[in-house]
Amino acid sequence: MRKLCIVLGIISSVLALVLSVLPLSNLAYFPAIAALVFGFIAFYMSNKNNQSKKTIQLVFLLTTIAFSISIYKSIFNTVEVGNTEELEQREIKSEEKAIEELEELDLDIDDLDIDEKELDIDTEDLNLDDLEIE
Amino acid sequence: MFKYFLILSLFVSSIGFSQNSAFKAGEKLSFTASYNMSGVLTELAQVNMETSEVKTSKATLLRLKCTAATYSKWDSFFKIRDLYESYVSPTSVKPYLYKRDIYEGGYSKFVQYNYSHSKGTVKSLIRKKKKGGGTYDQNKTLNMSSGTKDIVSTIYYLRTLNLSSYAPGKNISLTVLFDNKPTEIVVTYLSKETINTNIGSKSCYKLAISVKNSNVLKGTNDNLLWLTADENKIPVFAKFKVAVGNGELKIKSATGLKS
Repeated sequence: MRKLCIVLGIISSVLALVLSVLPLSNLAYFPAIAALVFGFIAFYMSNKNNQSKKTIQLVFLLTTIAFSISIYKSIFNTVEVGNTEELEQREIKSEEKAIEELEELDLDIDDLDIDEKELDIDTEDLNLDDLEIE
Repeated sequence: MFKYFLILSLFVSSIGFSQNSAFKAGEKLSFTASYNMSGVLTELAQVNMETSEVKTSKATLLRLKCTAATYSKWDSFFKIRDLYESYVSPTSVKPYLYKRDIYEGGYSKFVQYNYSHSKGTVKSLIRKKKKGGGTYDQNKTLNMSSGTKDIVSTIYYLRTLNLSSYAPGKNISLTVLFDNKPTEIVVTYLSKETINTNIGSKSCYKLAISVKNSNVLKGTNDNLLWLTADENKIPVFAKFKVAVGNGELKIKSATGLKS
């Protein structure tokens, strides 16, 4: 039981350390907490039977490092979008090409009619405003 | 008196014609895409949705543009720079041209659909990278049923629906053309709900989205979309279930709204 806890503790603390270094550092809390739990169980058992605690110290050390990296990252790292210059260039080029494509397409006349009707309404509304001012 | 009557009748007829009272050119919505595991959020990317006016010699169209870019901490692991565009009618949100230009972790693809509504066909162009370098084109003409849209115009089309008249549980079926396949999407209106967002506490329409004959989205009523219960119907929050945890899309800012 003690050995199993130590092995599981080491595995989860290493996993926590790996996750804390990656951009997924927030997820490192889960294995770090598991490592602490396994570590405490193993520590309690070793104390009871007067056995060596060297490996358990390693588990605690790795977990502490993982925790500190994750907490540091979550406090000081602000999220920001990387370089989008290339994407913006693509957007502009795409719009230019799209206009050329749209010129060749057969657009429905119905929609255009609606546009004109809406424009008429706008001017009528303006007239109404004028009357109200008078 | 007659003049006022004329104005009123014109106004009423305009309501009948124009379906889009939710958005106009110049609107910019910004979202944060994140992965949620047991309440621990990991922010992945920024998603922007913008509208602008495009003028051709024959008509004025609305350009609906969606971009997705991963945050800088992810760029060295899995860089995403996606561009989705749809050129639609400003009133009926009928698409005329759709473009998808994606770059996802080294993989890139370009898709273009030219709609011909009078003929009921779509001219599709798919451009992929060759292994040895260079690109190759795949041209196809597809038949479409009336009302077929692309993914971008579908999202905006949902905002034009008169959701206030819907009873909870009402379904709407929409056909979306994706990867040259017409896919049927079912949107169910669930209820009205007030949620807290970055742009304040909002009363929202809660919609469930499911894809027919596909296992892209998991679970029933687990893929949800919240649209504000006002004239603008802004998508403020979306949640979709993945294998472990949830994917989330939260609004960060909204500018250039119609009302």
